This record gives sequence, C-alpha cells and structure tokens, in this order.
Amino acid sequence: MRLLVFTVLSAALMVVDARFTLLHPLRAQLGLIVEPVYWVGRLPVRVWESATQELSTRNELAAENEKLKAEQLMMQRRLQKLAALTEQNVRLRELLNSAALVDDDVLATELIGIDPNPFTHRILIDKGEKDGVVLGQPVLDARGLMGQVVEVMPYTSRVLLLTDTTHSIPVQVNRNGLRAIASGTGNPERLELRHVADTADIKEGDLLVSSGLGQRFPAGYPVAMVSEVIHDSGQPFAIVRAVPTATLNRSRYMLLVFTDPRTPEQRATESAQAQEALDREILQQAQPEQPAAPAPAAPANPPEAAQ
Amino acid sequence: MAARSSNIWVVWLTLAVALLLSVSSMPKFMELGRPLWLALFLTYWVLAVPHRVGMTTAWVIGLLADVLNGTLLGQNALILTLITFLVLTLHQRLRMFPMWQQSTVLLVVFGLAQLVQLWLNALTGSRPPTLTFVLPALVSALLWPWVCTLLRGLHQRLGVN
Repeated sequence: MRLLVFTVLSAALMVVDARFTLLHPLRAQLGLIVEPVYWVGRLPVRVWESATQELSTRNELAAENEKLKAEQLMMQRRLQKLAALTEQNVRLRELLNSAALVDDDVLATELIGIDPNPFTHRILIDKGEKDGVVLGQPVLDARGLMGQVVEVMPYTSRVLLLTDTTHSIPVQVNRNGLRAIASGTGNPERLELRHVADTADIKEGDLLVSSGLGQRFPAGYPVAMVSEVIHDSGQPFAIVRAVPTATLNRSRYMLLVFTDPRTPEQRATESAQAQEALDREILQQAQPEQPAAPAPAAPANPPEAAQ
Repeated sequence: MAARSSNIWVVWLTLAVALLLSVSSMPKFMELGRPLWLALFLTYWVLAVPHRVGMTTAWVIGLLADVLNGTLLGQNALILTLITFLVLTLHQRLRMFPMWQQSTVLLVVFGLAQLVQLWLNALTGSRPPTLTFVLPALVSALLWPWVCTLLRGLHQRLGVN
C-alpha cells in the first residue's frame, strides 16, 4: 500500500519536474546543500593534490616556470598581432556598417564536482544565481567552448558539456563558413556532425567554430577540430567526426560568458543610431555657418530625419 | 526510555555518509561500477531495524540524492523505495540466509533497481549504450558482506533499535 503511494508520488514529482517549472524554485533552494556535500566529497582529491604539490621538487617547479614563461611569450606575440587585427576588423565593420564586435564579459569559475552518473556529461561549478549566472549561459575554457548552464542554484550551477548525448551546437567550418550541427556522442573525445552532404567541402583538420545561429552560444569561439570524414556510399550523409578543442574532462578553471542580451537587430539599430548621431555632430562642428546643407534631404523623408 | 534506547541518529548519520560516498570523486575506470552506497546502507538498516527504517526513510533519502545528482526529482526516491519494498518483503528469509546467499539475492534486487533506473533514464532522453548498467549492481553485491559487517559492528556497539 505504502509502495503504491510512494510510487505514484514519485511519478507525479518526476512528471511535474520534467514538464512544468513549478518545482524549480524549490529545487534551487534545496540546491544549497549541494555545495558543502560536493566539497566534502572531493576532500580526498584535494588532500592528494595538495600533498603532491607539497612534495614536488624544486626542479619540477623550475621546469614548469620555464614552460609557463615560454608560453606567455608566445601568447604575447600573438596578442600584439591581435591588437592590429582587432583594429582592422573594427574599421572594416564600420565600412560595412554592421554592429561592432564587442568583447564579451567573462567570469572565472572553478569546477567543484562531476556528475556521478558516467553516462551523462555534466559538471558542477562554484558560481550560481548570486553571481548572476543565468540558465543557458555558455561556459568556456582556455581552448574553446565547453557547454552551457542547465541548472542554476544559489551558489552553484550545473553545466551540460558539449559531448553529452542530449546536447547539440550549431557550428561553422572556419575555413569556408559551411554550417553544420555538432552533436554529442557520450564520448568525451568526440562530436559528430549531423546531416552533412557527401559533397560538402569539409576535410580532416578543419576548425569548427560556433556560428551563433542558435542564439545561445556567442559566435566565433572554437568548438572542435574535424578528425575524420567518411564517405560511405551506403549512407545518405557523410560521417564527420570531430574532437572538441576544449579539454572537457581535464579543465579545472572555466569562464562563464555574459553575452549581450539584445537581439542582433536591436544591436544593429542602436549602433546605427549612435553612428548617425555622431555623423550629425561632426557635420555640425565642420560647418557651423551652413546649417542648411543637410536640409534638402530632410523634406523628402521627414519622419526618419526626426528620428 | 526514548533517551536511551533508540539511537536512531546513527542510522541517519550512516545514510548521510552514504550520500557523500555516492557523489565523491573516483578514478575514471571505477566510475562505471560505482557501488550503490545508498541502497547498500539502506538495505542493512531495513534488515536490522525494519520497525524504524522503512519506505518513508528511503523516499526522503532518495529525494536528497535526486537534488545532489541533479536527476529528476523522484527518480532515485522511486528506486530506493522499490529496493526497500523488495527487501522488506524478503527480510524474514534474508535474515536467515548465510552471507553469500544474501549477496546473491541482493544482486537480483539491485539489478532490478538498475533496470528501472535505465528505463527512467531512457524516458528522459539519455541512454547508456551497453550492458554496463548492471555493473554497479554486481559491485554492490560483492561489497555487501563488508558493508554488512561494518554496519553490524556500529549497530551493536551503539545499540540502535
């Protein structure tokens, strides 16, 4: 009898949780207990890591220092180039009259737990609602996109990784802009591109970047590297496999990206308006004695000029 | 009498430890066969003090596990309630069995629970590809004698009833 009651109760809870948002606030509050439990759960790992750190020799530290210095030098060289390129990019975009590429805001976060179920690829991070994390927010590591936030709790949140079987992300081949959808396979080292035509121009070694078409991930971040392309005449589409560029199962520190909440259209109109205001100002400064110069255009289209 | 006789907090303490164990990090190769700590600990207490620990306890602990694991609320609760029901039904016989026979029976019980888990996971979209879902049941059944001995020691020393 009691079994029946509890079974029905559990089933009802599951359905409500899956279909409606009614229980989400409750879940979020219950999530408060998650962080301390995972903290204690990871204690052995933490102790082991700090112990190995204490015992690492001076030589090892020196070698690591050397390596990091070399890496930094290389990064700086690339950064120098990047400044010039960014400048050029902004100028070109101005010429094209499109919205300027703004740097996204980021927030550093640390991994605190891994989902105990080995068949789902989810992790727990140490930033939550109190830090402004929102549902669907993209997460990056140093090498590329990692996934998105699927559950927000007060001080922690859960991130679904790109390689989970339930996850897909719209991507583009960096070389030629070919669009595709990369789906997770449940293998942390592999993504698969869905419905790529056999004749599509895609080959081994191509870099896939996020296309931003799903309106969830920002455009232009590296996602994966194509590792094999199989043309099987028995299959309707080519089989394309890719390796995620982010180290999904090794990264400890990650970045949460805060993208612009406005739609591309809003962004475009707002930047266009700002540009027009700037133009008008420059015009007025250049010709203070001839305010009638732009006037002939005004009667033709008065409502737009008023804007 | 209430102050002396029922050291019920021991039960809750061990169940909390089981919750911790169920989310603690493990080496990659062991993750596939992660023992069902909660089910193991709960089974012991159901067998030992069936008048104290029953389906209600199982359900509440299951809900906590759901929150910790981020699964649908009610999924682990349902499975733990099922396990408790089966163990409660069998407990008169189970208590008479020698250890290896208990392990065998528990293998079947945990296997059934894992099967239900698999169905529920499939309903929500993620499906493990192979037969590996029975591995945790096997590992748990092998661990049963040790868990049982350990908890019995605690049980007798602290006089839970």
